[in-house]
Amino acid sequence: MFRIIKKSLKIGVVTGRYPRAETPAIPIGAEVKEKAGLFKRSLTIREVDTGSCNACEMEMNALLNPVYDAERCGIHISASPRHADALVVTGPVAINMERALKDVYKQTPDPKIVIALGDCAINCGLFKGSYAVTGPVDRHIPVDLRISGCPPRPAEILEMLTELRKPTV
Amino acid sequence: MVIMDTNAYDDMLKTAFPAIRANEPVCTKSSHFQVPKNLLPAITHYIHTQPNLRGKLTLLWACDHRPSRDTYGLYYLFTLEASHHWMVLSTELTNTDRLFPSITPHIHAAQWYEREIRDMFGLIPQGHPDLRRLVRHEHWPKGTHPLRKDFPWNCVLGRQQGTYHFPHIEGEGVFEVPVGPIHAGIIEPGHFRFSVAGEPIMHLELRHFWKHRGVEKLFEQQPLTDAVSLAERVSGDTTVGHSLAYCQAVEALLHLDVPRRAKYLRSLFLELERLYNHLGDIGAMCNDTAYALAHAHCGRMKEQIMQLNDRLTGSRFLRGVIQVGGVPRDIENAQLVKIVEELNRIQSDFSEVGAIIFANASLTDRLETTGVLNEQTAWDHAVIGIVGRASGMNCDLRRDRPFAAYDELPVNVALYRYGDVRARLRVRGDEIHESIRLIRDIRRKIPDGPIACQPGSLPNPGDWTLSAVEGWRGEILYAVTAGEGGQIHRCKVRDPSFVNWPAIQWAVLGNIIPDFPLINKSFNLSYAGNDL
Repeated sequence: MFRIIKKSLKIGVVTGRYPRAETPAIPIGAEVKEKAGLFKRSLTIREVDTGSCNACEMEMNALLNPVYDAERCGIHISASPRHADALVVTGPVAINMERALKDVYKQTPDPKIVIALGDCAINCGLFKGSYAVTGPVDRHIPVDLRISGCPPRPAEILEMLTELRKPTV
Repeated sequence: MVIMDTNAYDDMLKTAFPAIRANEPVCTKSSHFQVPKNLLPAITHYIHTQPNLRGKLTLLWACDHRPSRDTYGLYYLFTLEASHHWMVLSTELTNTDRLFPSITPHIHAAQWYEREIRDMFGLIPQGHPDLRRLVRHEHWPKGTHPLRKDFPWNCVLGRQQGTYHFPHIEGEGVFEVPVGPIHAGIIEPGHFRFSVAGEPIMHLELRHFWKHRGVEKLFEQQPLTDAVSLAERVSGDTTVGHSLAYCQAVEALLHLDVPRRAKYLRSLFLELERLYNHLGDIGAMCNDTAYALAHAHCGRMKEQIMQLNDRLTGSRFLRGVIQVGGVPRDIENAQLVKIVEELNRIQSDFSEVGAIIFANASLTDRLETTGVLNEQTAWDHAVIGIVGRASGMNCDLRRDRPFAAYDELPVNVALYRYGDVRARLRVRGDEIHESIRLIRDIRRKIPDGPIACQPGSLPNPGDWTLSAVEGWRGEILYAVTAGEGGQIHRCKVRDPSFVNWPAIQWAVLGNIIPDFPLINKSFNLSYAGNDL
């Protein structure tokens, strides 16, 4: 018990110990922000992997570690699309995952935000044209927000998600 | 068991089977035999069971040699247990022959390989006990075999109706629990079907390949020297492992001699990759027993190493740190000292966290005897990597077939025999300390000098080679065949996940479903690297 407390005291607070990301170059569209405004200060996310190399998943997971601690910004990961406000989709849409993606989209209650995370989700990246890839995410479901990078750093993802929910002036 | 020299193995095989023909070996510490197809089951059985050989099926792949010759080649790679010598058997299917004898009835490890060959090439393994589709899901049209040379890489596939038949276990109180492809956490897609009676799992069937992206076909569209970035994206968490294995294969084909300093830096990157993944896994395994404290500490240390990677190379996943012929950027010796200092701090930090973790009785209670993969099952499925070493498989390529700078960096291999979740946790814990020790060793021994050599002459079409790297998960294998004008003719990618996935079906038996996430996490296999 004392060992645990001692360790925690020794380490202290690590949240926020990361290099800041720059503010996104392309401003987020007003209509997307309006949609995000409905969810006020919280956002529940369901993550769907449709064929990524799993680096994007690792960075999404990193968002929840004590260093980034996305929950302090009201970002929560849900276990089911039925509880989600936003879908985060990673990877090009693999032919075997196309139906699952459409099902998840249907199961997510309206209004919902779809975020394409990573270059593969936005434009298929290196997998463009392959027989087993049916296209980027926006070929199958409407996409509201794009976070580019291969993979985007957790700080960049967090910055975008914070920016998304800032009220328009 | 005695370790014999290479010629003795070759003679043994030739005496037992006079019909086989010895070929030029493709790489060091290996032999290569041309085998008539009808003898395959007998020879493979002999290599697998002969007490002096005890060959473990390491890789099985096919190659479409058309249009230059009207044949399909089949290649079987065995690793001999005592000497880690490689034995390659190859056979050819000529003209319209599309049948080959299955070796699965006596070598379990071949089952997915043969099903994969059937899907990708349309060659039929005769006598295979399970000929359901593997990679091609039921909606793929009949007759699509993507790795055939006459299949265009960028064609649009049609659709058909079809159902996949899961084996059903019937009886009073037995029911099925389907899970996936999309799971509750932030993980990759895969389908698991449990048959349970009450709580314990009676049967688990995996259904994978949801993320099949056509990686091997995409390799064939690229020149040998350009495909490193594709190899990096086979499985994101094993960026260095895959790019290193690929580059080594290409360097062998181009007869390049990589400078020593570059080899040391490659080992450094591989160990950094091992470190952040192992730290993350230990935390995630604790998290699956609801032990959030350990998860938080390990997550913090993992993040520390990823930020270190970012500062060193500009990529948290160490992307772009390996190129054909060497490494693109040097790491100065002063920087190496700083890395070692930071890792020393992380090591003492991890030791303190480890002491807290292993003093926790309720955690030990959850981990011990959970998800046991016994030694025999591990051997039968040729299980490798961390999972293998937790089940008594004494294998580590860094020691057995040294690559990069490991010929000068002796590795102590962590080995446990219980095969439960705790053993897999302990292997990771030991390897963290070992990796940090290796990096200290690298800092001491690294020579000065150039870090890259220029690509030389192009290989002859049809030349092929094998390359193996011990990534953090286990053995990564690449079999690369050169094509016309420096193009890739065939690139077989084998992530360790492909071998270890079927073994999970045995490790969960008798456990309860709530323990499945824990067992799955303790294996932590890649879906992307498996599905390709």
